[in-house]
Amino acid sequence: MIWFLRDIDLLTVLLRAATLAFEALLMGGVAYLLAVALPARASAAVEDFCRRGIRMAALALVAGEVALVSASGALLMSGSDLTLTDVTTTNFFRAGSFAILFAIGLWICARLKSSTATVAMLPLSLLLLAATVSISHATARIDYRVPLAILTAAHHLGTAAWVGAMPYLWISLGRVEDVDEARRLTERYSRMALLGAATLVSAGVGMAGFYLGTWSALYTTASGVMVVAKIYLLLAMAVLGAGNWLLVRRLASDPEPLLARLRRVAEAEICLGFLAILTAASLTSQAPAVDVTAQDRLTAHEIYVRMHPEPPRMTSPSLAALAPPGSLAVAVADSQFAPTVHSDDTDKAWSEYNHHWAGLIVLIAGLLALLSRHRAMRWARFWPLSFAGLAVFILLRADPENWPLGPRPFWQSFAVPEILQHRLGALLIVVFAAFECAVQAGKLRTRWATYVFPAMCALGAATLLTHEHSAQVKEALLAEMSHTPIALLGVSAGCSRWLELRLPRSRMATIAGYLWPLCLALVGLILLNYRELA
Amino acid sequence: MRRNTWILTPLFVTAIVVACGIALFAPRVALAHAVLVSSQPGANSTVSGPEVAVLLKYSSRVDLEHSTLTLLDPDGKVEKVAIESEPSPGLLSAKLTGLVKGAYVLRWQVLATDGHITRGKVPFQVK
Repeated sequence: MIWFLRDIDLLTVLLRAATLAFEALLMGGVAYLLAVALPARASAAVEDFCRRGIRMAALALVAGEVALVSASGALLMSGSDLTLTDVTTTNFFRAGSFAILFAIGLWICARLKSSTATVAMLPLSLLLLAATVSISHATARIDYRVPLAILTAAHHLGTAAWVGAMPYLWISLGRVEDVDEARRLTERYSRMALLGAATLVSAGVGMAGFYLGTWSALYTTASGVMVVAKIYLLLAMAVLGAGNWLLVRRLASDPEPLLARLRRVAEAEICLGFLAILTAASLTSQAPAVDVTAQDRLTAHEIYVRMHPEPPRMTSPSLAALAPPGSLAVAVADSQFAPTVHSDDTDKAWSEYNHHWAGLIVLIAGLLALLSRHRAMRWARFWPLSFAGLAVFILLRADPENWPLGPRPFWQSFAVPEILQHRLGALLIVVFAAFECAVQAGKLRTRWATYVFPAMCALGAATLLTHEHSAQVKEALLAEMSHTPIALLGVSAGCSRWLELRLPRSRMATIAGYLWPLCLALVGLILLNYRELA
Repeated sequence: MRRNTWILTPLFVTAIVVACGIALFAPRVALAHAVLVSSQPGANSTVSGPEVAVLLKYSSRVDLEHSTLTLLDPDGKVEKVAIESEPSPGLLSAKLTGLVKGAYVLRWQVLATDGHITRGKVPFQVK
């Protein structure tokens, strides 16, 4: 329970991300039904699916809003004498309640098939949008509230029309009755998505102008770094989207294989789109760059000092040089109320050494995966085995104050959440290494098993995009500067592996097959240059 | 306890940790919306008692009714402080009375109008 309360801040960020994603799915479903499926005279099967998708998204949004309002209410009450009745009079409670009501309204409209109910979806969606925007960043600004609220609404609409509607197209293409129907749907969706992307980007540029203020904020503040991550994800989506646009134009010549390719590429695009939404939620949890004072911003010199390439640290400080560990009882108590701890230079050198060895292992894994593409080097396909070494390394080095290096007993130290986290991580790495080895060796042939690796990459990237490292603003930002590229490379690795597995034999699949090991190797290189000491 | 965030950086470790329950195990994210821009009394400043005017300026609009101030006195006693008014958006005013010589901590929790909750404290001395 204490852990739950400690992490409730993170929980609200994740719930915000979930509600943003469900809102995009719900409004995207309505846009797809009204602007694509119905005008394109979609078959009954496709239309039924759209309505079912809208109902599911509506229910998911209701659940997400209930959870978010409950978590925010608990957070508000836990630090004050405010009561549950007080919570019901807050803006976020009102906005959340209205969003729930409008989502239920959309669920009812999607269930009724009358034309009145279908038309009513449009105003209900706009009301839902208004409820969401009423508790956006824009409303809390001291200045320019109205233009910022309009830009925020446009940003949400663009996201819904492009990203939110894409899953509906993807599943529609699996249910169409003929190629003509598929072409009508994809052409109409492409036009809507283009308009959505243009709206999203224009509104995003406008908001960035307000919230960032200067170009330098892109690399001197945490929210700037998040904006760069969003731009990367949107560019990657645009590249895939452009590929799909070209495929749609060739559908008439060779429909069946192209339709399959279209669906596979759309899957990767959907993954990127929803990660961009998650990044947006993370971005809204940061102070806008324009509010960050000069003393909390990084200077170009500070970035250079920390990020310029240097030989990795392959010698560790001695165990005796580390500060002697305190009692386990104190550590357990501290972990409940002070999750972020300070470290001295020896601790940082210890941590750098750990990072650099981890980087070397990831680099080796990536290079082996790359080599395994060639027939003569098939033995290299057992690259996941290198992660077993990483697991042993974590067990030995992650918590040196505990067994086997330190005096604290092994089993009792599980009471510290961070240590439990490390040990679980080590155990699961071993399981994952064995699992992926079986996949690579062809011993485990079921489809779902092959998808575990790309799914893990995407989820890992999602974690890195949402977590923060230190209470000190500059330290957190410097850590983020190396962790965000790792997250983006993780997404790229996951999506390219997914495409390699899902696409029929093609040049795109071959490129994807080379891309993910390369991303893995680059992650290793970034880790090898990770530093905490200036 | 040492700082061990390094463990989260290898791609697979993070991925697996997420799969096991991100809400429980991932480190916290700072929710930083209504940031305290300036305060009166200033942090770690020394002021004269027994009455002290409080003026807290935030980076965004705050919900006055759902924001709270408490004062930790030199004896360790905690008292609620009434927020008097909001002279302009993002600015809170209050009055502390009956202060004696010693170290005080003014704790604040504000609800920004975008629904984010932030907390902080302003330690000061009364001479």
